[in-house]
Amino acid sequence: MTRTFDIPIGPLHVALEEPMYFKVGVEGETITALDLYAGHVHRGIEYLTAKRNIYQNMVLLEHVCSLCSNSHPETFAMTLEAIAGIEVPPRAHYLRMIADEIKRTASHMFNVAILAHIIGFDSLFMHVMQAREIMQDVKETIFGNRMDIAANIIGGVRYDLDATSIAFLLNQLDQLEPVLRDEIIPIYATNRSVLSRTKGIGHISRADCVDYGLMGPTARGSGLAYDVRQVAPYSAYGEIEFEAQSLPDGDVWSRAMVRLKEALSSIAILRECVRRLPPGPISAGPLPRIPAGEAIAKTEAPRGELVYYVTTDGTDVPARVRCRVPSYMNWEALKVMMKGGHVSDIPLIVNSIDPCVSCTER
Amino acid sequence: MNFLQVLIDNLRKGPATEPFPFGDASTPAAYRGRVAIDQDACVGCRMCEHVCAGGAIRFAEDNEALHLVIWHNTCVSCGLCAVYCPTKAITLTNNWHVSHRQEDKYKQVDHVTIPYSACTSCGVVFLKAQDPLMQLAYKTVGANETRLRDLCPDCRRVESSRGARP
Repeated sequence: MTRTFDIPIGPLHVALEEPMYFKVGVEGETITALDLYAGHVHRGIEYLTAKRNIYQNMVLLEHVCSLCSNSHPETFAMTLEAIAGIEVPPRAHYLRMIADEIKRTASHMFNVAILAHIIGFDSLFMHVMQAREIMQDVKETIFGNRMDIAANIIGGVRYDLDATSIAFLLNQLDQLEPVLRDEIIPIYATNRSVLSRTKGIGHISRADCVDYGLMGPTARGSGLAYDVRQVAPYSAYGEIEFEAQSLPDGDVWSRAMVRLKEALSSIAILRECVRRLPPGPISAGPLPRIPAGEAIAKTEAPRGELVYYVTTDGTDVPARVRCRVPSYMNWEALKVMMKGGHVSDIPLIVNSIDPCVSCTER
Repeated sequence: MNFLQVLIDNLRKGPATEPFPFGDASTPAAYRGRVAIDQDACVGCRMCEHVCAGGAIRFAEDNEALHLVIWHNTCVSCGLCAVYCPTKAITLTNNWHVSHRQEDKYKQVDHVTIPYSACTSCGVVFLKAQDPLMQLAYKTVGANETRLRDLCPDCRRVESSRGARP
């Protein structure tokens, strides 16, 4: 006879070392119900933005999330640029894309590495993290920090690439690309240990993705090829050709493969950006005057569509900053993904949406 | 791809980690470490205080001088102060050795003093435009500019408009 009961999982150490509490209803080994309880690391950042000026907010918002730490200040800056009608110079657009894609590559590789860790394949975890270190070195050398790269200011960027740093970046890409393409992707595509734990697990259909408003690689793993960079190109993404990666199956494996292929496509985008990098100024000027107004901007963060809404009142302290992060919708989809799954797959499924608690709770 | 081959390759390559603390860890030139302030280049414009995200930079004044105080333990190394500093008095060094003993935690402070001057006309104490600011504001600093900057704002206004018709 099977017994039905609730098991508490979390708030600590479910896949990522970030707190989220899951109340999982099980019947024997099979998951029948799921409830999520968030709020353990709420820091009130949206409130704090109304207490600081726009320059301080660029740094504060960078600290919302370490893995999307370029997307938050970038999107915030885009709203202010829309309100003030600031024309961002073309070189700054390309430098923003370069910063974006560097962060995306590192973020995706991190998530895929954690997948290996969860299935107990720690030597693969170490191998992917070591390859990711190539991208971490890029961040540290070009931007001066491994996570908070501080690339953006309002009206442009605050870093520039010269011949030396371009040569360094291209050399690092040359190192990373073969490891990713010829070692890591084939291992995830063919290794029996990886396939047996990830294929057919945590399934969600394309229709459910639409219903739940899912974003990013989570949705693209179910064949919903929605990528802000293509649907509503910002910066200079409209000038660059690339394919939105998607796979039809909607399981844990598909989501991981989408991330790996996106990392590879990011490397191609980086090369293209460097090749087309136009000359000129890197920002529209040091101290913009922001009139009263409101604006919305959206970008493709590593986890999906990131939307910012900002209201200003003519001072340099914003009246309201609101962000909608992709993780917020993706959490709810776990209820679909986990139904009928096994208890042992819970961390794996949680990790497959690349959850970001610090984004969700801000 | 056989994972054993990857393991063997990695074994052949040796350790991927830095040997620190037994060897040097490489630090790129652009690394944003501990903030350093050039006392002579600081003009006391307070822009760094305005943009400092963590509130690590604070200004205080007394009768003789304006004081810039930076608490390194509050600093997040974002580098905004260096970006917005008009005279580039603030730089972020490559020094990431910021660990210290618990009893020293209130000593991680740097202090820069920008002395006030007395107005050559009325004797009021005020913050004179420092040399780096003069060089930034004027192509060439002539005798007239030098004379005017020794005056307090009120006397300067009177002096500048002397001889002007109402």
